[in-house]
Amino acid sequence: MNLFLTLRRRVILYLITISGLSVSFLSDSQSKVTLLEEESIGLLEQYCLDCHDEETKKGNFDLSDLLDEEGHDGSLIFENLITGRMPPADKKQPSSTQRRTLLDWLSKRQNSKAINSYQRISRHEFVHSLNDLLGVKLDLTGNIPEDRGTHDFDSDRKILLTKEMLSSYFSAADEMLEFALPEKGFPQERIWVTNKIKDSHDTYNIYTRNYQEGLLFSWTRANNGNNYSFFYDNFDPPVKGWYELTFDAKKLGNFEEDISVLVFSGKYYFADDRPQPQRLLDVISLSNKEVKSHTIRAFLHPGENVSVHCYSKHTFRKKKADQGAYIKQLKARGPLVDDWPPRTYQKIFKGLDMNFPPRKSIKTSILQTKLKAIGGSLSVSSYQVGMEKEKMQDGSNRTFWHSQFSPTVAKAPHFVVLKNPAKKEINGLSYSKWSGGNGNGQVKSYSIYLSDDAQSWGDPILKGKVDITRSYEQPILFPKKTKKEYIKFLVTDAVSLDGKSIASIGKLDVITSLPQAISTSEISLLSRSKKDLKKVIRHFAERAFSSDISEEELSPYYNVSLNSFKELEDFVIAARAGFKAIICSHRFLLAPGEHSNKSYKIASDLSRVLWLSVPDQELLNLSRMEKFTTQTLTEQINRMLKDEKSLRMIHSFCSQWLNLRSFNKVNPSLKLYPNYNDLLNHYLPIETEKYLNHLIQENLPISYLIDSDFSFLNQRLAQHYGIAGIIGQKMRKVSFSPEAPRGGLLTMGSVLKVTADGFDTSPILRGAWVSKNIAGNTLSPPPENITAIEPEHGQATTLREQIEQHKEKKTCYACHKSIDPYGFALENFDATGQWRTKYRVKKPHNGTFQFRLEGYYHLGGEVDASGEIATHKFNDVFGLKKILLSDHRKVAYNFTKKFFEYANGYKPDLKERLQLFKLIPENGKECRIKDLITKILIYSLREGEE
Amino acid sequence: MRNISRKEFLKVGAALPLAMNSLSLSAKGKEKSSPRRIIFINNSLGFYAPYFFPKKREDLSTSDYLKGMKTKEKMTVFQNFFHPGMETSNHDSEKSFLTGTPNPESSNFVNGTSLDQLLAKEMGKDTRFPFLNFSIYDRGWGCSWNDRGSAIPPMHDEEKIFEMLFEEEDLRSKKQQLENDQNILNCLRRDLQQLRNQGSDPGKLDNYKALIGEFESRLHHEKFWLEAKKPKVEKSLSEDKQFEFSTKVRNLFELAKLAFQTDSTRVITFSMDWIYGAIKVPGATGGWHTLSHHGGRKNVIAQLSQIEIDTLKHFNNFLFELEQIKEGNGTLLDHTTVVMGSNFGDSSNHTCNNLPMIVAGGGYQHEAHKVMQKPTPLCNLYLELLHKHNMDIGNFGSSERDMDLLKG
Repeated sequence: MNLFLTLRRRVILYLITISGLSVSFLSDSQSKVTLLEEESIGLLEQYCLDCHDEETKKGNFDLSDLLDEEGHDGSLIFENLITGRMPPADKKQPSSTQRRTLLDWLSKRQNSKAINSYQRISRHEFVHSLNDLLGVKLDLTGNIPEDRGTHDFDSDRKILLTKEMLSSYFSAADEMLEFALPEKGFPQERIWVTNKIKDSHDTYNIYTRNYQEGLLFSWTRANNGNNYSFFYDNFDPPVKGWYELTFDAKKLGNFEEDISVLVFSGKYYFADDRPQPQRLLDVISLSNKEVKSHTIRAFLHPGENVSVHCYSKHTFRKKKADQGAYIKQLKARGPLVDDWPPRTYQKIFKGLDMNFPPRKSIKTSILQTKLKAIGGSLSVSSYQVGMEKEKMQDGSNRTFWHSQFSPTVAKAPHFVVLKNPAKKEINGLSYSKWSGGNGNGQVKSYSIYLSDDAQSWGDPILKGKVDITRSYEQPILFPKKTKKEYIKFLVTDAVSLDGKSIASIGKLDVITSLPQAISTSEISLLSRSKKDLKKVIRHFAERAFSSDISEEELSPYYNVSLNSFKELEDFVIAARAGFKAIICSHRFLLAPGEHSNKSYKIASDLSRVLWLSVPDQELLNLSRMEKFTTQTLTEQINRMLKDEKSLRMIHSFCSQWLNLRSFNKVNPSLKLYPNYNDLLNHYLPIETEKYLNHLIQENLPISYLIDSDFSFLNQRLAQHYGIAGIIGQKMRKVSFSPEAPRGGLLTMGSVLKVTADGFDTSPILRGAWVSKNIAGNTLSPPPENITAIEPEHGQATTLREQIEQHKEKKTCYACHKSIDPYGFALENFDATGQWRTKYRVKKPHNGTFQFRLEGYYHLGGEVDASGEIATHKFNDVFGLKKILLSDHRKVAYNFTKKFFEYANGYKPDLKERLQLFKLIPENGKECRIKDLITKILIYSLREGEE
Repeated sequence: MRNISRKEFLKVGAALPLAMNSLSLSAKGKEKSSPRRIIFINNSLGFYAPYFFPKKREDLSTSDYLKGMKTKEKMTVFQNFFHPGMETSNHDSEKSFLTGTPNPESSNFVNGTSLDQLLAKEMGKDTRFPFLNFSIYDRGWGCSWNDRGSAIPPMHDEEKIFEMLFEEEDLRSKKQQLENDQNILNCLRRDLQQLRNQGSDPGKLDNYKALIGEFESRLHHEKFWLEAKKPKVEKSLSEDKQFEFSTKVRNLFELAKLAFQTDSTRVITFSMDWIYGAIKVPGATGGWHTLSHHGGRKNVIAQLSQIEIDTLKHFNNFLFELEQIKEGNGTLLDHTTVVMGSNFGDSSNHTCNNLPMIVAGGGYQHEAHKVMQKPTPLCNLYLELLHKHNMDIGNFGSSERDMDLLKG
């Protein structure tokens, strides 16, 4: 009893201290507060103090201590009360009115935290906004540093704009403006057709070889498990831009599934077991009916080449079997411009006269070696019929030049003379040996001579050796660049199996650094009027700032443009200067910006959250008329979610809320999970995004986050989940049978992978993830000086024992009982998300690691996925889902808090949480995701109005 | 005024690297001294203490890890340093490695300014890059925190760093661009004033105005350095893909060396951030983090130590190569203070006591191994380093006093 009194006295004292600070506020409502506080303390005594007094301190939690501590905001008590975690199920429960009373009191006594009243826009929002403003699609996010730091959400208001971010925005703005409104015009469109790959080493013939009119890729995976990808030759994107890549291809093989070709792009280089590749562009899925065209669109940069990778367990290491992906040819077209004149111009310079000559394009494109490009040619000392000099210039090293050996053998010297009639600057030669055969005639060493007249050659400028074992392109750089008319490549030594002097070369070309002349089509604006320029700037500013804006306010921006116009007399360049100022301004980079009325602010917030971008015309029109009623807001949110741009929000929210942004940081062990590959890695997060998008579009109940009888799968994902009969890599809605342990977010491979480290699973890490992101338990931070427990390969039983020790330590158990069980329930899923009943224990390999389909492991102990959450026992993930589903409000409450934080950049305070909780319908079937999102947005937008 | 003299100097064609320094020195007298540099390296998962610290006091050859160091006589291992206020900080302690700001794990944490940034304010004036900060992967934060406590995103791509340091860019368009940017800044200033008059949120405007100011001084700096050619060096980056992690560490050390050697910068931080997932070094493959929780198990420690040995191998080479480069009347190492350490003392328990710390080079009289009598704030050493670099600052982070640990 004494303790209660102490507590009561303390609380009252505390309140008096507070009220003393703001007498004026309390003067009229003081009595009410006192009543509420009296009642609340009574309730605390009644329901909480049995366990949480100074003596018992259950869970190391002493209420009197906490309330005594100045500035303690009581949010832990609040969260435990609102989610029904406290009082525990086996103790007497307060009525819902009593609970409300306590929650109300706690929220009122929380000091509202001072947070920055503004946010900076994130790098993703920056890039999307610019794309939408300019009408282009250029992903520059990678060029702008990540500035989220350790915060969960990009929008976090604690993150300030820094000088470094500002300067990368300055340069990103330049790059995007140059792409949309290029100073020197739009490069011509070209078409390339190729069926040659860059290197075709003899030993590669098991992976890929000439087949019919093109190439057959049987499998392209190295012994060590690395993926090869083969680079196409004769297609070098001349400028950065969008390209259309069309593969004419089909599957060869009698297996049922489609075979997939992964199309990558990256800088070509030769390496034996190249840790490939750089950027996955897309996947094409081939069936074996007939050769069909498969087209993808990709953004490519100069210096990059397109490569393909093909792997299937059916073809893997099946030598000489005519199985795999047959690609007849690759046709590339680009850089693509959506329209002519481009949409950017139509959008930005609407109503102004433009001069746009028809866009240049080269419809057919003949393979051109660099030598041909500089107008050169070559001659040889002798040749064998069928192995003429042209074979060195046909883009393939499977065909080759050979000195004559039949009917007579040509005598040395054997050489090639390259003619450079235009006297262009040449840096060196590029040499490849021919691939195949027994090596007879392979060049071993050479000398290079230069001449003005092909008569007097003087001393060699360079002597050297080439690598006879590799068939990649070997550069032979001259000591200094030359403009001489004749270059002689003299073979000084070559492989000879029969003692005869012979020579052969697969490919020979010159290396030049001459800029490729790219013909462009320029668009010019005919207007010379300042008024027109101002109009263009105003139009852009209104969209970027989401505001009406006065002439006076715009004058600094006008000036930037007008000054440039005066100096350079180029309308487009002048407009670009103004645009850049707008894009780099605080009005644009800091949110909320400066809006002429609240409706504009609402429009701007809405589009930032749902589209990661600026408002469209419809939103701006509604703002101008100040027409945002609850009804219009609901309609607009609905419209915006239907718009494709909302997929950006889905992607962004999944990567932040579910931490899928860390998805690629982990590479599952090839020893334990030999079936895991790039293809699967590509599709796992897509499943999650498609699923969440579906839930939102169809407005399905919140319970679908936990469980459902369907997901979005394709052939690869279905294989991973052990579902038969799904053919082809197109994602589609697939139903699960009731016994399948899938459905809902928790059992998705993406989530299961991101919560493990690629080797082992950790119930603690997974448990913490579920607890934080799905179940929404608020936990106090771990106590001081504890020893962390982390999993170790295959020692699952000991791990469980170790974790079970938590139970024995009171301080650990208080929190870990709300963490570990979730993780235990997911123990039936390995680090890649596949179902298991036994643990895999890694086995050593002898000598160099060699990838094999059966991996390097043996099966260890049985998985025990049972556990207990708040007195509810479960055996496995099915049981866990039931427990989570038993109270939809808890999951919904957590979801609303996360979405609120995502949208607003801060965690809702207790008053806001109380409001958010009220948005959740009592009936689980009516608690629908799109409704919730809509209500959260309307609530927080309205909140901002006050 | 100052600008003109700099330009004049450049026109004469003097070696650029020492431009400002020699200029101010030659004004004072004839003495020629080499510029001083400093680098901070944080190995965020620490080092296994029994292998790291010498078993016998003051004898580095009794440390398993350090016995092979080639520059033993120019380094000191410090024992018993800690950052106060990190008891429950866990990995977050990484954020405070160079700031000493307590409780980085708390949700309202605002970091302090990192040591390198304070030093760069003075030491960074005369080089093309006031400072460089590296990290081994793209995480967005490393060791350097600006004076508002925001992370300065480090660079991690070796090719890009090399290009930035040593490859020429198109100057004419760059110049035009600097001018454009200056015009834009003027425009934004006017707009800010406009909004201030309209009563817009002053905090927001001030923040932005400060950013513009910083950005502008960067423009001035760049404009000045545009006149000068970048130093030419041979590209010596390794392209070994077998041990990517190891290659990365090696290359970043190499770039640090080149940057110092060419006087492209005088202040560098290098964050060896904990990499998520498995890494591969000669002799070990595994989750670095998972291994770091070795819990005393011998086989795990054996794996972990392979990673640590690999890191220290590159560190050793870095010091040795600095020592090989003669400069003035000493070596580059004599003019470079190298601070290598960690935010973790014991990674297995994620605790932040007894931090492994090495100071090498810098021309100090090194004492091989120095053990503090009692746990001592690392910021005491930091404060001393500030003083050693002529920064008149009374306090840094949790510092108590300058203990004069490094003589000479």
